[in-house]
Amino acid sequence: MSFLVNHLVDFGQGVLVTLGLVLLGATGSMILGTLLAALRTSPVRTARAVSSAYVLIFRNVPLPVQMVLFVFGLPVLAIQYSLYASAAIVLVLYTAPFVAETLRSGLNTVDRGELEAGRALGFGPMASLKLIVLPQAFATVTRPLGNVFITMVKNTSVAALVGVSELTFLSDKIAVDEAQPFIIFGGAAVCYLVIGLVIGRLVSAVDQKVAFSR
Amino acid sequence: MSTVSLFDPAGPRGKRRHLLLEIFTAVIVTAGAYLVFRVLYDKGELSAAAWAPFAEPGLWALLGQGLWNNIAAAAVGMVLSMITGCLLAFGLVSTHTLIRRTCRVYTDVFSSIPLLLLLYFTSLVLPNYGLKLGDFWFLVIALTLYSGAVIGDLLRSGILALPPGQAEASLALGFSQVGTLRLVLLPQALRSMSPALVSQLIILFKGTALAFVLGGYMELLRSATVIGQYYTRSLLQAQFVAALGFLVVNVTLGALAVALERRQNRLAEQEPLPVTAAEPDPVPARR
Repeated sequence: MSFLVNHLVDFGQGVLVTLGLVLLGATGSMILGTLLAALRTSPVRTARAVSSAYVLIFRNVPLPVQMVLFVFGLPVLAIQYSLYASAAIVLVLYTAPFVAETLRSGLNTVDRGELEAGRALGFGPMASLKLIVLPQAFATVTRPLGNVFITMVKNTSVAALVGVSELTFLSDKIAVDEAQPFIIFGGAAVCYLVIGLVIGRLVSAVDQKVAFSR
Repeated sequence: MSTVSLFDPAGPRGKRRHLLLEIFTAVIVTAGAYLVFRVLYDKGELSAAAWAPFAEPGLWALLGQGLWNNIAAAAVGMVLSMITGCLLAFGLVSTHTLIRRTCRVYTDVFSSIPLLLLLYFTSLVLPNYGLKLGDFWFLVIALTLYSGAVIGDLLRSGILALPPGQAEASLALGFSQVGTLRLVLLPQALRSMSPALVSQLIILFKGTALAFVLGGYMELLRSATVIGQYYTRSLLQAQFVAALGFLVVNVTLGALAVALERRQNRLAEQEPLPVTAAEPDPVPARR
């Protein structure tokens, strides 16, 4: 059991790196995703085309491919960041389309009548967006958005592919060193489960807060 | 993919404003595209020399073999995870508490563990137990462990979304519990969940690229890397072609999922079944 104590620090570090990636990925993809959704619903045709093209490409090229291309391919063009930053950037680039699509489906659930009523009551386009449409849209998508982020937690593991020492990478390394794969991979699995559960709980709490009667 | 318009049709002033915005965006997009072109051009990535290796048919054979390996792993993984998924779905709707709980724990655990962790696990642990399988099977087993859990949960919600009369009628006609599930409920659930199942196949296909980490398995991403090692001048080009290969397959599958969903909706309009379930979510909701 001594190897457990020896590697507890490593493990903790791995969890921290994973959590960091989760936090950066969630914040970044939320910003980029909202931007993409805004472009997608804008009246400007070119903006809509740009957003659709982005979503189509970045959603359909697998994350490992994007990760490897970014970390091993782009240095050819003298574009290079630290491994951790690269992993976070790729995670954001990959997750943003899913956020955008989720937000857009939320916007679609807002009844057209609500907008018409707002217009009749004298709300301008911005005011109706801010006070009528967005609150409802965000409230409907809390849970699906939570699922997107829970999937993202699992996707942070892909950073191991390029050598970021996050949870999956470290557990593989320790498992090879110690030849105790069951305990180590089991421990890593428990960590992922706990992170996923915590986010799930958080989402539920937010969901209850923003729930409105339909 | 229709989007509810958030705007009224624009008036004359609005039209002018939209036109200005249109031009503004077009300028930005063009500038961005030019910048990308400039960088690529200056580094000689668009030059004939960088693309020269692609004139060799052997290189395309390598890439094609890579893509085929991805497709094969995804296909075998899908078949196996459909089988485990069906069994798990039976367990998840079972009246036997112990079976139901066990299946629930299995689906919850395996659908929230990263695929890569499972892949490391299968490739490290299985050889210790005398299972001298190839990398292909490590990948397929990892995919099945994960995807089976997701599909099990999908089919469970498909079964539960069916009108209760289906099961009642079947039981009243003398079908056994298992017979009811197998012959009446499961076929309908499979049909109603077919778009989500195709989405899961896309996730599976994307997951096959993780086999890159095994090193020995020549999937498309690995093939591209090998080409990059051999022709150092053409690394980016090879990776680009690989990304394109994945993109084309996934877009095709995505179009299939949308077509299935359209057909589903059309059928639902023809026979007004009470659809109680929300839109099937490729990611199972956590309970």
